[in-house]
Amino acid sequence: MNSKLMNFYKSHKPYSQFLLFGIILSLLPLLVNLGLVKYSLLTTVASILIYSIVALGLNLLLGYSGLISLGTAGFMGMGTYLTAFITADLGLPFELALIISVAVPMLIGVLTGLVSLRIEGYYLAIATLAISEILRKVFVEFDFVTNGFSGKQAQYPKLLGFLQLDRNGTYILIVFFLILVMVMMHNLVNSHTGRALSTMRGSEAAASAMGINIYRHRLLSFAIAVSFSALGGVLYMHFVKYTYPNAWILMLSLNILAVIVIGGVRSISGTILGAFIVFGVPDLILKRLPIIGSIDGAAYIFNGLLIILVILFYPNGLINMRFDIQRNFRKLFKRGEDLNG
Amino acid sequence: MDKMDNKVLKVENLSIAFGGLKAVDNLSFDIDEGEIFGLIGPNGAGKTTVFNCITQFYKPDEGDIYFRTNTGEVENLVGKKTHEIIGKGLVRTFQNIELIRELTVVENIMVGAHVEFKASLFNQFFRLKKTRQEESRIRKRAEEILDHMGLLSIKDMLVAGQPYGVLKKIELARALMLDPKLIILDEPAAGLNDSETLSLVNIIKEIKMERNCSILLIEHDMKFVNGLCDRICAINFGKLLAIGTPEEIQGNEQVQIAYLGKEDD
Ligand SMILES: Nc1ncnc2c1ncn2[C@@H]1O[C@H](COP(=O)(O)OP(=O)(O)OP(=O)(O)O)[C@@H](O)[C@H]1O
Ligand SMILES: [Mg+2]
Repeated sequence: MNSKLMNFYKSHKPYSQFLLFGIILSLLPLLVNLGLVKYSLLTTVASILIYSIVALGLNLLLGYSGLISLGTAGFMGMGTYLTAFITADLGLPFELALIISVAVPMLIGVLTGLVSLRIEGYYLAIATLAISEILRKVFVEFDFVTNGFSGKQAQYPKLLGFLQLDRNGTYILIVFFLILVMVMMHNLVNSHTGRALSTMRGSEAAASAMGINIYRHRLLSFAIAVSFSALGGVLYMHFVKYTYPNAWILMLSLNILAVIVIGGVRSISGTILGAFIVFGVPDLILKRLPIIGSIDGAAYIFNGLLIILVILFYPNGLINMRFDIQRNFRKLFKRGEDLNG
Repeated sequence: MDKMDNKVLKVENLSIAFGGLKAVDNLSFDIDEGEIFGLIGPNGAGKTTVFNCITQFYKPDEGDIYFRTNTGEVENLVGKKTHEIIGKGLVRTFQNIELIRELTVVENIMVGAHVEFKASLFNQFFRLKKTRQEESRIRKRAEEILDHMGLLSIKDMLVAGQPYGVLKKIELARALMLDPKLIILDEPAAGLNDSETLSLVNIIKEIKMERNCSILLIEHDMKFVNGLCDRICAINFGKLLAIGTPEEIQGNEQVQIAYLGKEDD
């Protein structure tokens, strides 16, 4: 009966997997409404999905291009303030705010890249760290638009000027953008630009000899990473409805790096897994445990330990555990067959 | 650049120094269209440095490098960007294999046609028609080249973990993707066993015949060089010793002293 559907699923991998993932995620509001899971779970999952979008961008930069940015939080924060300003203060449409709030950070990212990427890749880490700190100062000091430490508010998005989303609707919008970003990432890394990024990371000599303009491709991948950060910021703003300077500190940028290291470098599903571990486990599990739950900074200790363990045992990320699991399953089956046979 | 008829490459008075060391010293040679040309010399003679100067990895201190491009025009390569060189019809391999471990064999080879891809970023993000067409056209070409080298069965394997001889062939395959006018190979036979070397000789001969291109190669294995090259240029300490046919080079006393060693007279 379902074999047609099954064939479709198999022949359209991984898009069909992404779609299925999106559908499963979209069921969450239903479960909340039915009272099967807690109201606050939706908030936790939504923020995990937002950080997944941001981390996917960083994975393109780190995993494919071999560059490190420490400015992720700053660009994300910039996205939140811009969209809040454009929608709440100026009263302009959400769609316009989305475009501008992604484009402006991207431009600033490109400028940062233009000066820092010309010489050596690792200057980007220093430059983005500086930009991120400057941005945070701006969030604090320009209080006539940012409200300084008290923070800034925005509303759930109104689509096309009339479709006012509620909390659940905004959550679905986040799911939509995550799946979109996953599809775009998958397509990009499997086309010539993705291979060019991998090549320049693996061998700058080979890249130059094959006609790859290293400077241009570094800039490009950084611009994409910044755009995804800013997109995450916009979605965050319209879901959480509140932003303040201290949400966008270096710790967040490092946590997003941890997502990639723990989940899986160069892996889309690994990134999602990493986001669930880094941003989900502390909220969903650690806080509920006796004793551990009451320790301040348990999450940091957890992430720190996890990074060390992952680097020791799964240097390419926990997502590679699936190969071991598959292998062990197969072994079990083999043994079963041997016993039967 | 007086006479370039029948020539694909003309190196004139090339010099480059690192600190006080003159790695290449006033070297001149030229390569005919359709020729297989060998560059030989003892370790540290400056052979790889010559390649790096031709492909603009290094900027020569002095000298010119005239190249007859795809379009038939003659251009001085000196001062061009490194990544501009392949588009003119000149492609190289490396002495220490430069392949990408995380990519599959066929993907590595497709990188050789990077400059041919024209699909925009947007087009790639959504895998629109142009991206799909380019991908399948260039993948097919890569597979044909792999097939020709007897490597089709490993096309979807990762490069990491392939044996050395196979890696050398993959790098050569990558250099063929754009139908270059001149291929330069830095020690293509190094580390190969006898039968692998023999098959490489045949592959290089076939490439020259079928693709109507010229080949410039560095090699230490004299049997390989003599069996393959139309002409040979011998250098030592960055300076020219002699240019000639394999017989002439073998008979040249200076070459014997510098390179082959005096003892085998
Ligand atoms: N980037 C560089 N910086 C400093 N010195 C260099 C550089 N590249 C090459 N050299 C020096 O130039 C000289 C020539 O080196 P080159 O690699 O061209 O030799 P080669 O003929 O290719 O030798 P081999 O047969 O061992 O590959 C050597 O003394 C080397 O140390
Ligand atoms: Mg060399």
